[in-house]
Amino acid sequence: MKISVKNNKTKRIFGKQIVPWLLICPLIIVLYLAVWRPTVIGAFWSFFKMNAYNPGRFVGLENYKLVISNSQFFLILCNTMMYVFWSLVIGFIPPLAIAIMINEMVHLKSQMRVVMYLPAVIPGIAAMLIWARMYDPSSSGLLNMLLARFGIDAFGWLDNPKFTIIGIVLYMTWSGFAGTMLLYYATVQGISSELYEAALIDGAGPLRRCWHVTLPQMSGILLLNLVRQIIGVFQVMEQPLAMTDGGPNGASASLSYQLYLYGFKSSGQRTGQAMALGVIIFLILLVLTCFYFWLNRKVENNF
Amino acid sequence: MKKKLQRVAAGALIVSSIAALCGCGQKTSDKDEQGRTVISVGGWPLSEGKSLDAMNQRKETFEKENPDVFVKGDSWSFSIDTFYAKAAGGTLPTVYSTNFTELAQIISSGYSADLTDVLKKRGYDGKFNPAILDLASKDGKVYSFPTSAYILGLGYNTELFEQAGLMEADGTPKQPKDWDEVAEFAKIIKEKTGKAGIVFPTAGNQGGWMFTPLAYSYGVEFVKKGEDGKWTAAFNTPECVEALQWVKDLKWKHNVVPENVTIDADKYYELFSTGQAAMMIAPGNYSDYVIQYGMTPDQLGIMAYPAGPKRHVTLVGGELQSVTSKATDDQVDAAVRWIETKCNYQATDAFKQTTQNNIEKKLSDNVIVGIKGMSVWNRDTESVAYENDLIDQKCNINPNHVKLYNDFVQNPCELQAEVPVCAQELYKILDNCITSVFSDENADCAAIIEKACKDFQMDYLDNVDY
Repeated sequence: MKISVKNNKTKRIFGKQIVPWLLICPLIIVLYLAVWRPTVIGAFWSFFKMNAYNPGRFVGLENYKLVISNSQFFLILCNTMMYVFWSLVIGFIPPLAIAIMINEMVHLKSQMRVVMYLPAVIPGIAAMLIWARMYDPSSSGLLNMLLARFGIDAFGWLDNPKFTIIGIVLYMTWSGFAGTMLLYYATVQGISSELYEAALIDGAGPLRRCWHVTLPQMSGILLLNLVRQIIGVFQVMEQPLAMTDGGPNGASASLSYQLYLYGFKSSGQRTGQAMALGVIIFLILLVLTCFYFWLNRKVENNF
Repeated sequence: MKKKLQRVAAGALIVSSIAALCGCGQKTSDKDEQGRTVISVGGWPLSEGKSLDAMNQRKETFEKENPDVFVKGDSWSFSIDTFYAKAAGGTLPTVYSTNFTELAQIISSGYSADLTDVLKKRGYDGKFNPAILDLASKDGKVYSFPTSAYILGLGYNTELFEQAGLMEADGTPKQPKDWDEVAEFAKIIKEKTGKAGIVFPTAGNQGGWMFTPLAYSYGVEFVKKGEDGKWTAAFNTPECVEALQWVKDLKWKHNVVPENVTIDADKYYELFSTGQAAMMIAPGNYSDYVIQYGMTPDQLGIMAYPAGPKRHVTLVGGELQSVTSKATDDQVDAAVRWIETKCNYQATDAFKQTTQNNIEKKLSDNVIVGIKGMSVWNRDTESVAYENDLIDQKCNINPNHVKLYNDFVQNPCELQAEVPVCAQELYKILDNCITSVFSDENADCAAIIEKACKDFQMDYLDNVDY
């Protein structure tokens, strides 16, 4: 009797859905092995003194203390925030502007869409190295050659500690705007034409139509992308690694780049601190992600 | 029927994914079915071509002479990013090559097998150059087999030197004796050719690494170990400030370096090999790195490392072969025999063949043949004589371009071991010091060194063993 009850219960969970469960299994296994397990173990081991990749004795919060008391930590935290700040200042508007622009175009619409998407097709590291070349501080750098045409002295670009983050963010905007643009474009296309017709009848020009019809209709997706961008840029790592080595003098080092140094460039001496820093980044992002989900729910309810 | 098919398909998916996962954890014994000892060898070439052919030939000859061993190729080759993860996962090849900078850390992490007994058994007592063997040993035990050693010298662009009038008619360069003369040479080159006289790296730990021998020559000691076993950063001295001032003067006083402020190893070699700088501090095998930018062997030369005001020292770079600590005794023995086919004090047939193949490969890659490495052996051995004769025969450049370096190798200055603790972190901090003086004309060298010393102490030395 008991057995059959249990069977019933299992049946209720798996019962007729056994095939979907089985099909989802490989993904679950991969996620478990590649994401969940390492995340949990990494967080757990961050409380241990690590000998390369093997946990030694328990040291409590020592790894965290070492990470935070490192003389570079606050500089790097500020840098990371500066990445987010500049990415919002520089990178938030272009995809939206271009999406609306393409939507308003009468001729060559689809060609324009393809051309605008091209930067996203170039492999990341290759594009980063090309940009680093363009920024070359010598007089043979592309941008400095352009400046020379106008009789302006060569500029340090990525070698200038005040400009280096902005320079990297410019590259990130260039390489990343295409995907977001397509998303915006799809949303713009989805806006009911009746609204525009009504606006036209009311005598609204293109700018007013944009302000009073397009933008309000898009505010949901704009908000979501804002948070997504903050979370994404907060984890910036390969750009400083490939373009500046975190330099000059640590001016472009980010938290994730520092984590990479702890994890892979310390001869296995600081893997514990890499894990601790990973947890710190995780916590910061967790707050942002919760905010994202909260916003997502709100947006979905409203629109 | 359709449903059944679905279930079968799903079941097969699971079974195959589980099987794939289990496959990774298999343990292998050190013997194959025929009772031969199996060793895996790292750095095995992946693609078809000369290197792979040469490796297969080496394996064939070796297995003919050593019928009890089976050699298996492993395409992983040493890199600091992956080494410790592989070691912790127990997937290192039996024999792997490594370098002098990283070796001390590898030994103290226990990932390199003790070779002392096997080397003794095979008659290596007193055969190695003690200065080099020291770098491969800890507490009197040998943990790695040094196969090649290159000391730092001063690499130069022969064409720019000629244009600047710093070359004799027979192709022998003028040798700057000390750092002040290096700066003088750089000024002359800048004046005559318009190119930067010298390039100094600043990033990716390369700058720090290059700065240490310079500072040693000014009499700096970077770390000191107290009686209680604690390490102290000791480079907060006027000598170190002086060394940094020399680097700073290159840019702001003499204006003889390229405009770039961030120069990592790749950029360093690129600036030199695209003719944008005439001199660089470089190891003897540096032509391996510069050819990828299209420099021909004829344009490259190298000479002795300059002296400082207090000492004349240089660093040793080069390659060692280690055996994983997971290896069994049989494997260690077989591994040493394998290493002998590349590096041997006797000129065996296998050694001759490998050496010939290496030189042929260098010739076809358009790398300099003519620079002699430092011998890892104590005195002239027949293998070194054989190799050097072959290099002379096959030399593809004017030998005078590298004569001063070859003489320097025969009769070197003091060889300095690298900083024994937190070396990479120190290099990173020194990178920042160099970047600071390169990016700011008014940078205060004394304050920069003071801060670097304090940071190194607080961030790293104070918690070496927390």
